[in-house]
Amino acid sequence: MKKLLWAERQKIRRSNIVWIAVFATVMVAVIVLLGGQDVYDGSRNIDNAGWYMTTAQPWATFFVLPAVIALLGSYIICREEQEDTITSLRLIPVNEAKLTAAKMIVTFSFSILLYLLLFVITFSVEAILHFSDLSVAMVLGFLKAYFLDGLGIFLAISPIIAFVSRMKKGYWLAMLFAEIYSFAGIFMSMSNTLKTFYPFTAVFGLSGYYEATIGNRIGSIIVLLLCGCLSAFILKGLKYSEK
Amino acid sequence: MLRLIKIEFLKLRRRKFVWLMLLAALFMPFLALLYFKYVKETGGDPLQFYRWSAFSYTIFIILPVVLGILCTMLIYEENQYDMLKQLWIVPISKMGYFFSKFCVVLIYSICFMLITAVASVMFSVLPGYVAFDWKSVLYLLKTCLEIGIIISFAMLPILAIAASQKGYILPVCITLVYSFLSFSLMTVNMYLHPLSSMAVIVMRNGDIPGVVLTQAINVPLAFLCICIWDIAAVLLANIALGRRK
Repeated sequence: MKKLLWAERQKIRRSNIVWIAVFATVMVAVIVLLGGQDVYDGSRNIDNAGWYMTTAQPWATFFVLPAVIALLGSYIICREEQEDTITSLRLIPVNEAKLTAAKMIVTFSFSILLYLLLFVITFSVEAILHFSDLSVAMVLGFLKAYFLDGLGIFLAISPIIAFVSRMKKGYWLAMLFAEIYSFAGIFMSMSNTLKTFYPFTAVFGLSGYYEATIGNRIGSIIVLLLCGCLSAFILKGLKYSEK
Repeated sequence: MLRLIKIEFLKLRRRKFVWLMLLAALFMPFLALLYFKYVKETGGDPLQFYRWSAFSYTIFIILPVVLGILCTMLIYEENQYDMLKQLWIVPISKMGYFFSKFCVVLIYSICFMLITAVASVMFSVLPGYVAFDWKSVLYLLKTCLEIGIIISFAMLPILAIAASQKGYILPVCITLVYSFLSFSLMTVNMYLHPLSSMAVIVMRNGDIPGVVLTQAINVPLAFLCICIWDIAAVLLANIALGRRK
């Protein structure tokens, strides 16, 4: 497994998808920053301590990052078949279940890293604008929230990555599904029950972005774990096609 | 040119995913149906319903993302199978090739918006939220047709980026950022981004209820914004395709 993870890391270093994902994350931060120039109650939104770190979470999650993570995950799984490298891997021989698991672990790491990158950007901007208004507890609270966002979003979209990898039709589907699936979260947040159980809004219940009771949080955790189990179940049956 | 467009559509027949993407046109009408059933009442005003089903997220997020994927697919799949060399040998003019793809995007976009319009009418009239009224239906069809045409011009930069790249990852990620940027820029400056400028043109009469624009409506400026981006896109595509061997 260690070797597979090392190999995946080497492969992804040669691909520019990582830089494109980083670019998308930076752009989301820039766009939310632009949105923060709106004046509300006599002051710019961005001048309120915590506004930027709070607002970047839903904007990034409902519109951009899940689709980017789903694209990244399905790309690294589908490319073995698409570029016909799976034949060489099979000759080594490589356990295909372990190979897919390694790819999912890489996607999981990226999901967390992208959210942490977003945290670093938003925190840096807030620190530059009003460092004295930020407290350690607030910053650590946001760090925890972003980490849980990254973890939860991976679990929420993992069935999509698993599904398209199984269908072998790839990345287009993953991106479109993930975009519509994440975007629907805006509407699901209007109902308390759906907010707890819809995977994307469940992530916010878990991370603390939405106020939630312990019962709601347990419900959200169960939904996200079920998503993870569903993707493991789908991937278990994944077999790269024999040529 | 007409032959090129015909060939593009013949090629599309084999791509089921392109047709499946049209189902995304039903997404917002369906959500609007749920929204007005459980959260809000329309008060019998069809425009309230249509604002949700056709004039909100459909034009800022769903259709731009779908068109961005379509643009990337149209260009990437030919790159992937190394078809371009054969096309240049025929020979086909590089800009003719680019504009034939654009025509596909234009027609696709119009079809998408017409499906949205039909679904909006069905999802609002059949459950009885609004009474059937020719005037509002014709207004919806006219506006959807306008959106379908203008949005394809607003997405021309994405088609140009797709044409300038060999891969698909960058164009599709830029599509996400591009559509999100327009949504966000609506409250900052509506005349910076083609998609927000398109919204200005569509909402120029101020007859869509509940839409508050932060700046004065200036339709020529909105057209100018789209034109500048499109000219830049055509230049980029011309340079990029000219370098392609």
